[in-house]
Amino acid sequence: MGKRFPFLWLAGVLVLAVLPWSAFAGAPTEQLKQTTDKVISILTDPDLKGPSNAEKRRALIRKIADERFDWNEMSRRALGHHWKKLNEEEKKTFVKLFSQLLDRTYMEKVEDYSGEKATYTGETIDENYAIVEMKVLTSKNVEIPVVNKLKKKGEDWMIYDVAVEGVSFVNNYRTQFNSLLSKSSVSELLAKLREKVSEK
Amino acid sequence: MKRKRRILMLAGLLWLFAAGSSSGDGGADPVPYAFSVGFGEKVVLAQASAASEEGEIEAVSQEGILPDPLEPINRAFFVFNDRLYFWVLKPVARGYGFVLPEKVRVGIGSFFRNLAFPVRFVNCLFQGKLEGASEEFGSFLLNSIAGMGGLFDIAGDAGVKKYDEDLDQSLGTFGFGPGFYINWPFLGPSTLRGTFGSVGDGFLDPVNYLDSTGTALAVESVNVVNRTSFVIGEYESLKRAALDPYSALKDAYYQNRLKKIRE
Repeated sequence: MGKRFPFLWLAGVLVLAVLPWSAFAGAPTEQLKQTTDKVISILTDPDLKGPSNAEKRRALIRKIADERFDWNEMSRRALGHHWKKLNEEEKKTFVKLFSQLLDRTYMEKVEDYSGEKATYTGETIDENYAIVEMKVLTSKNVEIPVVNKLKKKGEDWMIYDVAVEGVSFVNNYRTQFNSLLSKSSVSELLAKLREKVSEK
Repeated sequence: MKRKRRILMLAGLLWLFAAGSSSGDGGADPVPYAFSVGFGEKVVLAQASAASEEGEIEAVSQEGILPDPLEPINRAFFVFNDRLYFWVLKPVARGYGFVLPEKVRVGIGSFFRNLAFPVRFVNCLFQGKLEGASEEFGSFLLNSIAGMGGLFDIAGDAGVKKYDEDLDQSLGTFGFGPGFYINWPFLGPSTLRGTFGSVGDGFLDPVNYLDSTGTALAVESVNVVNRTSFVIGEYESLKRAALDPYSALKDAYYQNRLKKIRE
């Protein structure tokens, strides 16, 4: 028996070394990965290919995105201290329009999917907040760093910000909203947002 | 004066900030980056969650705010650059990309990158990145000799990391603030510090030592058109997602700079 132990120990170490890192990743990475995999499976599904299936594809992706993105949190953060200037009705309208805009942007990015690979490179959890870092390798062999910020809601980790190449969506929109709201009213902002979303 | 103008042209690369940032800079060591993000974030997250109790979330950090005292002029030049892109640069880059196969354009890009090696080397040294300096030096030798003067990125293909360091980042690392936002005509987003950085880096770029301003401009134009041919569509999608494209570009430029300085 005594002789076997070192062998078993070594085998154990080897197994650990061979297991992919993701096996040890926490819940935020796991959940994010599930979402990404689901989206990729829709984009690569031969039954859903082609322009005739675009609507169907988008509806499916939108549903998956809704389960992982916290549109409300994103909206609050993007508006920053302006958020409290909105009444309940305006808040609702804002969240709806802003999520449609983000959704469209996200959709147009993923529609170009051509076999990019995502690797998960890091995870930091601080109670109810988490940061999951990944690298997306494009078909042209360019690595794009992406940082996802998530907030825990029950058992679900929900994305409230995404930063690509260091450029955070929430910060970028906050700069824009700040600039717009320094010159115009909330209702004008909502009108502008509505117009933007309806752009073809 | 002539040289100065030529050197300023170099900041044209900044216009294509998106190109620069996605053209394969592997970034610095990911580990310290992870820590720096994680660490800074902790404080910010705590503040944010406390603030959200009152339904109020303040700006994430002072660092993320770039003063813009020249906004009216900057906005005018934004419109100018926007038209320049859609009316001149984009059609030219499209035609260029149509005529030249991607492999050739990649080679031309590698050639220019290899040529600007002194900029990266010196700035790696400025920032105490000895490993970066030695890897850039090795890549330069290998690509210049075995890669036919830099047309082939042999080192990059073999997985050698790239260190896209510049003087703006060095100055940032030394603790100099960005000053304020400047949106140059032709050259695009920069800051006061970024402008000094580009001029300084210009002294290390061999293109600026060509015998005439005309030649240098022509060579630089090829570089800009070549770069643009790879990123057609990126500026368009930024504009499509933005409610205020001017602010969106300013913020994207600055956030990307902050990240590069952190690394």
